[in-house]
Amino acid sequence: MRRNITAYGFLCGALICFAFFSWYPMVWEVVLSFQQTNFVDPPIWVGLENFVTVFEDAAFGPAWRNTVMFTVLALVFGYGVPFVVALVLNELRHARAYLRFVVYLPVMLPPAVGVLLFQWFYEPEYGLFNQILGFFRLPALDWLNSTDTALVSLVIVSTWMNLGTGTLIYLAALQTIPGELYEAAELDGAGVLKRIWHVTIPQTKLILLVMLLLQIVATMQVFIEPFLLTGGGPENSTVSVVYLMYQYAFNFGNINGGNALGVMLMIVLMVFSAVYLRVSREDKS
Amino acid sequence: MTRSGYRRTAGLLLATALGLTASACGTDEAPAGDDAQPAAEGSAAGPVSITVNCMPPKTNKAQRATFQEDLDAFQKLNPNIKITKATDAFPCYEPRTFEAKLAGGQLETVFYVNFPNVGRLMESGQAADITPYVGELKTFKDYNASIDIFKKDGKIYGLPTDGYGMGLVYNRDVFTKAGLDPGTPPRTWAEVQAAAKKIAALGPGYVGFGEYSGNNVGGWHFTASLYGRGGDVLTPDGRKAAFNTPEGRAVLENLKQMRWTDNSMGSKLYIDWPALMKAMAGGKMGMMLGAPDVLIGLRNDFQAKFDNYAVTAMPEAKALFNGGAGYMINPKATPEQIRAGLKWIEYEFLTPGKGQLDYVRAKGAGLTVGQPYPDLYGADTPSGQEVLKLRTENANVDPAQFALWAEGSKGIPPKAEPGPYAQEIYAILDTPMSAVLTRQDADIDQLLADAEAKVNALLEKKG
Amino acid sequence: MPNLTVIPESPERPGGSGPAAPAAARSARARRPRRKIRQEFRTVVSPHQLTSRHGRVIYWTVLVTVVVSFTAAFVFPLYWMVTGAMKTTEDLVQIPPTFLPPRFTLDAYAEAWELMDLSLLLGNTALYAGGAWLFTLAIDVTAAYALSKLRPVLGKLVLALMLATLMIPPMVIMLPAYLTVKDLPLLGWDLLNTPWAIWLPAAANGFNIFLLKRFFDSIPRELLEAAEIDGAGPVRILWSIVIPVSRPILGVVSILTVVAVWRDFVWPLLVLTDSEKMSVSIGIASLSSQMPQNVLIASLVIASLPTVVVFFLFQRHIMAGLTAGSLKG
Repeated sequence: MRRNITAYGFLCGALICFAFFSWYPMVWEVVLSFQQTNFVDPPIWVGLENFVTVFEDAAFGPAWRNTVMFTVLALVFGYGVPFVVALVLNELRHARAYLRFVVYLPVMLPPAVGVLLFQWFYEPEYGLFNQILGFFRLPALDWLNSTDTALVSLVIVSTWMNLGTGTLIYLAALQTIPGELYEAAELDGAGVLKRIWHVTIPQTKLILLVMLLLQIVATMQVFIEPFLLTGGGPENSTVSVVYLMYQYAFNFGNINGGNALGVMLMIVLMVFSAVYLRVSREDKS
Repeated sequence: MTRSGYRRTAGLLLATALGLTASACGTDEAPAGDDAQPAAEGSAAGPVSITVNCMPPKTNKAQRATFQEDLDAFQKLNPNIKITKATDAFPCYEPRTFEAKLAGGQLETVFYVNFPNVGRLMESGQAADITPYVGELKTFKDYNASIDIFKKDGKIYGLPTDGYGMGLVYNRDVFTKAGLDPGTPPRTWAEVQAAAKKIAALGPGYVGFGEYSGNNVGGWHFTASLYGRGGDVLTPDGRKAAFNTPEGRAVLENLKQMRWTDNSMGSKLYIDWPALMKAMAGGKMGMMLGAPDVLIGLRNDFQAKFDNYAVTAMPEAKALFNGGAGYMINPKATPEQIRAGLKWIEYEFLTPGKGQLDYVRAKGAGLTVGQPYPDLYGADTPSGQEVLKLRTENANVDPAQFALWAEGSKGIPPKAEPGPYAQEIYAILDTPMSAVLTRQDADIDQLLADAEAKVNALLEKKG
Repeated sequence: MPNLTVIPESPERPGGSGPAAPAAARSARARRPRRKIRQEFRTVVSPHQLTSRHGRVIYWTVLVTVVVSFTAAFVFPLYWMVTGAMKTTEDLVQIPPTFLPPRFTLDAYAEAWELMDLSLLLGNTALYAGGAWLFTLAIDVTAAYALSKLRPVLGKLVLALMLATLMIPPMVIMLPAYLTVKDLPLLGWDLLNTPWAIWLPAAANGFNIFLLKRFFDSIPRELLEAAEIDGAGPVRILWSIVIPVSRPILGVVSILTVVAVWRDFVWPLLVLTDSEKMSVSIGIASLSSQMPQNVLIASLVIASLPTVVVFFLFQRHIMAGLTAGSLKG
């Protein structure tokens, strides 16, 4: 009994913080998505109306399409590449400290800085990227200013800023693989690629899977890139679900519509998170 | 640091932290934030506290100084009114934070609002009804038609403090470089197009004509162009879209030609208000749509070489989009706060010879005097005449910078924002604007038809 | 996207278990190659292959390619940023650009410092990060200790509820969380534009609780029981036994917390709207479009310095932190 009182005394700070800033908002999000309020008068219940409003919004389709596209593209660049980079780094015997340091350097920049830096690099006339293309006599690209390239440009920023995390995690994982496995494979006559395929990948399978899920959950929340770089344009080609949610709440004065979008995103992400939890629990056993 | 030293420091910090938790668990602790509430208490007898916004930013030193002077002078004049906070976020209306502040109760007692948002705020009950109090304002009766923007169902919800009609802003220096005569700027869209082409030919980095295409400002300028051509965004009853017309098509067609046939608009998209202003101030852009206030903004907020810029009348204008801004009062304000807030607005913006209309001081402070705005009072009212007199007497700008605009805009009727859902409509109209500026194969008919359907759906939903 | 989550057990080499972070750092130091091509442990490519003539050629080609491309991809942009701030706005729009700035000048840095009030913004951010750190340590350490060692009734449920928050990223609940902070339920406090709006939510971090509890679980029971027999109460045990042996994990949690607060964008964007209270990321982003280009770039450099310096100093801890859990963001 005494122990319980002490324990809850110790827990009280955490309980208060979690209650106010995690548990309560989760519940309230769902409640708000069924209400209408202007913050001056008391809220009224409106059933599914907010969901219908956002569903019928012209930007709803593009927002989900872009978010999924962003996630897929970010996986292509940001999931495979770090693994390959880590594989190569793991083989190198020189300059490792330097390489690990520089690959992680962009991760340490505040995201707002990284994004604004790339905004400057993307300038069509005198930005760094088009200058480099011009130097190699390649045609300039429109980057953020074309429906064809805007989304990819956002993925590039995001990948540049986050590549280091994946690389270092993979690198750590690669170092846990017992060397005997490679030796055995070599004795069986397996070449380098076969060794990667039959030893490295099975040995890091779990972490690869975990990282896959983590990255999906992280990139589906893309916001700062469209918010600072494109405003969702051109022609809604970069509007994301979270960006639309923000627009509803803070530009259209319809916070309830934003909550409806939040509930939808919450459901999608919970599915991925549940899979993730399952996977990481499997690992423990 | 030695091991034990490290441990001791860590221990000390943790002890502090534990202490903090303990007190956080107690209930007696109130967080700081005494000045956060605009609706602070204030009774009829005691002093009234209000907060205001739109203090000029630090980058605009001269205007910031005069504003501070006015804050002090006003509080001295009204000892029972205390202005506890003056916010200096720039731009004063920032779409990214306005709703956040409104929703968060962070909005100042007296808050700035630009015309596109006035309708919505009145519609959603987010501004206080000031009808009972306007009688106390001396110059209220002298207002010109701009006050109508703040009226709804016979009630008044705010006061315009700035008003002007749209025009064409151009860089005289760039015109000269391109072999154009800065004294005779374009009067038709065909001339705009030809001039833009010549300017872009000056070399890389030069942009003949700059235009917005995102974050609602694209739709806003589409509306301005459409009005100029005699078109309309909504039907007179405000229930249906009315821009899928030859006028609407002409706006987009013109931009498309300049962007893709003449290649005179550059390839950068200007997606928010400061972006185009910054580009114009950079000195390599020839023209943009804008009211006379753009010139002053370029000078004071974007450090442009003021003398290079001039404004002329909107080409072929049949109606002028009515730009401007004013102030509204927080709906949660008490009657005393409303009174105090209105007093501040009156002092700072509406009294000839005081605040923004103190032209003697403005001249001395290195600010511009002589620009033909704010245009608030009827020409034959006492206030109107007094403002005009003060302005002429203290003018320090080259009248030629504004003359063509003033001359060319005479007699063209003003036209207001398209209803309470202007922002949502602008967001929809951003799409055709960004489409013609980013895709050579953009199908204008299709774009307009799509936007029309979306606006109609929006209006139907809003009833 | 600061989203903290777990990766499976510490992946340090053979036998790496339990309180491994400092050990990892030490072994990393020892592992640094000093000689030519020498393998300390076996990887995909065999030592035999590596030392053959053919292998050497490939190895050096790959090494040079990697070093050059990494420098180009990750260091050059930063070089461009630092020198860009030394150019005038006219230099910046020059085509082609100059590789070196025409002259060495820190004028734009000084201007950025003054115009954007960076001392205020950086000070604010330090206050937010520092406070968040204190609160996180105090609140999460005590909670994890209670859950791990005191095991009260319903402790499992509380832990499960805390871990469940990991499934819902903070982005998704930003609107209701914002409304909560604006008007705290029951208490009615308005925390907007106060440091509390950053500090308290930062402490509600399920991942920290998880990391700490897992670590505390690995502290041998006998150690605590011995102290209990000596008559030490739970506070004393936490203070003089648990905390001293938990230094590695406290370091990891500290760094994760400080870095996360420093980098965060969306949450401060919502709750710190007052220009006097903004964090450095928000301040710069909100002023970015009206600043002259070179001043803006200078402000970016200044804003990134603190985290980059921290990274320089605590490189090993940060990387060890990455392997103890993973910092995804």
